[in-house]
Amino acid sequence: MAGMAATAGIASALMLTVTTASAHDYSIIPDQFVVCTTCHGVELKGNKSVDAPRLNGMEAWYVKMQLQAFKSGWRGTHPQDLTGMEMQPQAAVLSDKSIDAAAEFVSHVLPRTETLGHSIVGDSSRGERLYATCAACHGANGQGNEALKAPRLAGQNDWYLLRQLEKYRSGVRGHVPADTWGQQMRAVIKVLDSAADSTAAMADVVTYINTFSSNSS
Amino acid sequence: MTNLHSRRNFLNLVGSAGGSAAVYQMALALGLTPGRALGSPQLVRPLSGASRSVVLLGGGLSSLMSAYELERAGYQCTILEASHRIGGRNLTLRAGDLIDEVGNPRRCRFDDDPALYFNAGAARIPAHHHYLMHYCKELGVALEAFTNVDYNAWLQEDERFGGRPIRFRHFMADAKGFIAELSAKAIDANEFDAALSPEDVERILGFLKRYGDLDVNAIYRGSPRAGFKHPGALAPTPGMIDEGEFVERLDFSEILKSSFWHERLHFHEELDYSAPMMQPVDGMDKIVDGFARHIKSPILTHAQVKSIRLQESGVSVVYQHQGEHLQIQADFCMNCIPKHLLAGIDNNFPNEYRTALAAIHRGGPFKIGIQMGKRFWEDENIYGGISWSSQHIEQIWYPTHNIHGNKGVVLGAYSWGDNADFFTRLNPEQRFEAALHQGQKIHPNYRKYAESFVSIPWYRMNHHLGCTARWTEEASKRYFSYLQAPLAGRHFLMGDQLSHHAGWQEGAFSSAHHALVELQKLVAADLGSTT
Repeated sequence: MAGMAATAGIASALMLTVTTASAHDYSIIPDQFVVCTTCHGVELKGNKSVDAPRLNGMEAWYVKMQLQAFKSGWRGTHPQDLTGMEMQPQAAVLSDKSIDAAAEFVSHVLPRTETLGHSIVGDSSRGERLYATCAACHGANGQGNEALKAPRLAGQNDWYLLRQLEKYRSGVRGHVPADTWGQQMRAVIKVLDSAADSTAAMADVVTYINTFSSNSS
Repeated sequence: MTNLHSRRNFLNLVGSAGGSAAVYQMALALGLTPGRALGSPQLVRPLSGASRSVVLLGGGLSSLMSAYELERAGYQCTILEASHRIGGRNLTLRAGDLIDEVGNPRRCRFDDDPALYFNAGAARIPAHHHYLMHYCKELGVALEAFTNVDYNAWLQEDERFGGRPIRFRHFMADAKGFIAELSAKAIDANEFDAALSPEDVERILGFLKRYGDLDVNAIYRGSPRAGFKHPGALAPTPGMIDEGEFVERLDFSEILKSSFWHERLHFHEELDYSAPMMQPVDGMDKIVDGFARHIKSPILTHAQVKSIRLQESGVSVVYQHQGEHLQIQADFCMNCIPKHLLAGIDNNFPNEYRTALAAIHRGGPFKIGIQMGKRFWEDENIYGGISWSSQHIEQIWYPTHNIHGNKGVVLGAYSWGDNADFFTRLNPEQRFEAALHQGQKIHPNYRKYAESFVSIPWYRMNHHLGCTARWTEEASKRYFSYLQAPLAGRHFLMGDQLSHHAGWQEGAFSSAHHALVELQKLVAADLGSTT
């Protein structure tokens, strides 16, 4: 389609040209997972406008665990969990094999940290003190710990982390008894909830997490 | 006249020298053609030998209109659409069509019959939406009348009138009657006639009597406007060969407590909802088909945009199509991708632009279409229009077309806000069940005739995730003009999201025309500087 029409010598005019893009810029998304990028964005970078967190850089084991949590109704079924409810039916239709494939797919989309902006501003030094409890499972640098089923926090969207803390606090997440790890987090959130200004405390912790290098592992 | 004649002669001269575009531009300059080019032969000035390229992102109506106008003027165009179809929220569902809801993909199971379709997005056209009327005419899209109000349809409110449905005409006539009677009493009590002449008072009384169908003493005693008691099928129609017996007057205090006068009662007097309204014969997507028939430029579906980069000399767009990444270079980018999905695409927009995009919120209305095995509403003298309910379904629409046909597709819910959220949270089968349960309060045999359904929660529809952009007054003040303006002279955001009429096709067309005008200014300036 390109390069055939007369240009009449207009220097600035671009012919409509289509070329193969350099392959390493973006991941080819398999057809069955294109739907993931509708919400979670190109390269699964996350999209705050539709409340979808960043997935690139997320550990395969954690992706698998959460898809199963959504599928089994541990997440995204509480009447107040409006954003979780958007994800839940998507996971509910996946077979165990598809969940494995999805986890594999997500873990192969490389972290793209250059576009990650910070939207939460709190007291980082107070956050550091409060984070001491979190560090036991999630690691001193938020690198995560598979053995304790604690996901990496470094490099995650701060607005998403804050929302999850709020969900644990209100019982919207971690409310199903069979959800052992979710229940554990729900118990631990009391550390932050006991503060008089628990909302600010959560923002402070997230502010501190923002200081971690997202490449830590 | 002489002056006009001489201007026309002058235009003829211009035409012979510079072609039709020159005539048009000159006519604009002379004020002979409306600036908004109502029904003009060509919206975009031909390039006349120059070359310009435009990549259009999203296959919604603003893109289709822009591509149609641009290619006729000699621009090279390509439309990239992420989903399996073009048309955006101009969506008509028929047997076998994919209902692409995230998490709940389904096929439409209506009978394979051209009359059994459901307009799941845009569904009615006001006559004053002149771009839409223009393109229907120009693209050969046949229109038919659309009945938006049916006085025989029902109003049903759980808390009022014992929850039983009331005919629209009954409520309307009684409400007007009581209000008119009250006003007449106020006049008689000399409450506010001091400034009026006796003749004016008489005129007002006359007006009120007509307005409310009052008797000679300005008392409302019921009216045929409210309808007669119906003696049953095959009995003479009431009022034909006897006096007829009025339906019982509604309780005025119930009318006052009812929520129907808040909005519903006057709905069909609003500019976009009043007669005449129209619909394309055989489905709203005939408009999309009309554009697709006429557009020669490539229209790619399943082409998902990954990156939009504004450059010194143009725009570079990377997209995935058929398992590979492709890069397209163009002079301009016209973009109708929903602003909340645009945020998920790589770009080099300035921060302020991103902030502006994020300031617009997304709406999420819900619709359900139900194939009915019998057109039972016609037995209730309903032939179109809307029944209103205080329940989550809010509305039931009856098809205007195929009257007395075999089956029909009714709209079983059209909900907004919390009511839409109620349905969105359910799975499709639960939505169907809830719509039937609620519809039964209006039509007792509703469930008996329901055969199959399609449910469309726009908040969850793949590649949309919303419908009707929500602008706050502040966001509108701060960002509307900013987002309307070309970004870096290369990128044009458009669509109904960038109009004050989100959710209307006319909003998309109006926005596209605005973008086309801006684009032409840039091209004209550029061509002027290089020739």
